Amino acid sequence: MMRWVGFGCRLVTGGIFLFACLDKLQKPGAFAAAIDHYHLVPYALLHPMAHGLPILELIVGLALVFGVLRRGAAMLAAVLTVIFIVAIASALVRGLDISCGCFHTDGGHAVGITLLLRDFGLLVLCLPPLFFRDAGPELSHLRKMAAGSNG
Amino acid sequence: MEACALSVIVLAVTAVSWALRPDRLPLSADPTFYKLELDAPLIATKQAVALYDAGTHLFVDTRPGPIGATPTIPGSVPIRQDSFDDDLLDLFDFITPEDPLILFGDGNLSLASSIAARLKARGYVDLEILSGGLEAWRAAGAPLTGESGP
Repeated sequence: MMRWVGFGCRLVTGGIFLFACLDKLQKPGAFAAAIDHYHLVPYALLHPMAHGLPILELIVGLALVFGVLRRGAAMLAAVLTVIFIVAIASALVRGLDISCGCFHTDGGHAVGITLLLRDFGLLVLCLPPLFFRDAGPELSHLRKMAAGSNG
Repeated sequence: MEACALSVIVLAVTAVSWALRPDRLPLSADPTFYKLELDAPLIATKQAVALYDAGTHLFVDTRPGPIGATPTIPGSVPIRQDSFDDDLLDLFDFITPEDPLILFGDGNLSLASSIAARLKARGYVDLEILSGGLEAWRAAGAPLTGESGP
C-alpha cells in the first residue's frame, strides 16, 4: 500500500515539475523578468538562473517519473519547493503585487496565500518518494529484473 | 550523493543548452533593462510612517475603485487613474503643486508611477511612491481607517 502511495506522489510531483518547466524553457527572457519581480536574485545570477532552473525542474521531473536517482530527485524537488515557498512568503510580506511565474511566464497566478498553501501541498508530496524505502516501480528495478532473467 | 549527481547533470545540461541556444540570454543581466522607470522616487515604509507621524506630507491613494470601500491611510486623498481630472478638481482648494505628496497603491508600481507622471505634468514637483504599497504599510503596523491599532 505504502509503495503505491509513494509511487503516486512520485508521479504527481514529477508531472508538476515537468509541466512547470515547459513554458520557462521556451521563454528564458520572460522567465528572467518573472524572477526579477521578486527582487531577490542579484542581476549577476538572474540569467544563469533563468536558464538553469527550468532544466533543473525538467531533470528532477524526469527522474521522479522514471524512478532514476529517485531519492536525490525528491530531495532536490523538496529543496526547490522550500525555496519557492520562501520567495512567495517574502513577496507577500513585502506587499508585492506580482505573478508567481510558476507555470506561465506571462500572467499566471498572483502571489498570495492560496499559492503558498499549494506549494506546501507540493512539499508534502515530495516527502514519500524521499523517505519511503520503496516508492513504486523504478528503471533500476526493471534493469535488475532484466539482468536476472538473462542470468 | 544522488542529489549531487543530479546537480552535476543539471549544470552540464544547462551549460550545453546555453551554448547551443540561438536565443540565449547574455550571461550577465543588464540591470537597466529590468528596472522599471518610475516617474517618482520610491520611499520606504518606515520613512513614510515617520513623515505621516510628523504630518508634513499628504498621502494620495491611487487605487482604483470607490472611495472608502476598503481601509486606507487616514487623511489620505484619492487620485485615481480613471477619474484623475475629477479627483484633482475636488482637491483644487486643498493642495498646491508645491505640497509634498506620497502616492500609494496596492503595490502596483506602474499604476502609481503613471499617476505620478500625470501629476508632474500638472506641475506637482514633490512626489514619492510608497514602496510595497498599502500592504507594506499595514505590515508595518501603521494606522489604517476602519482598523484598530496594534
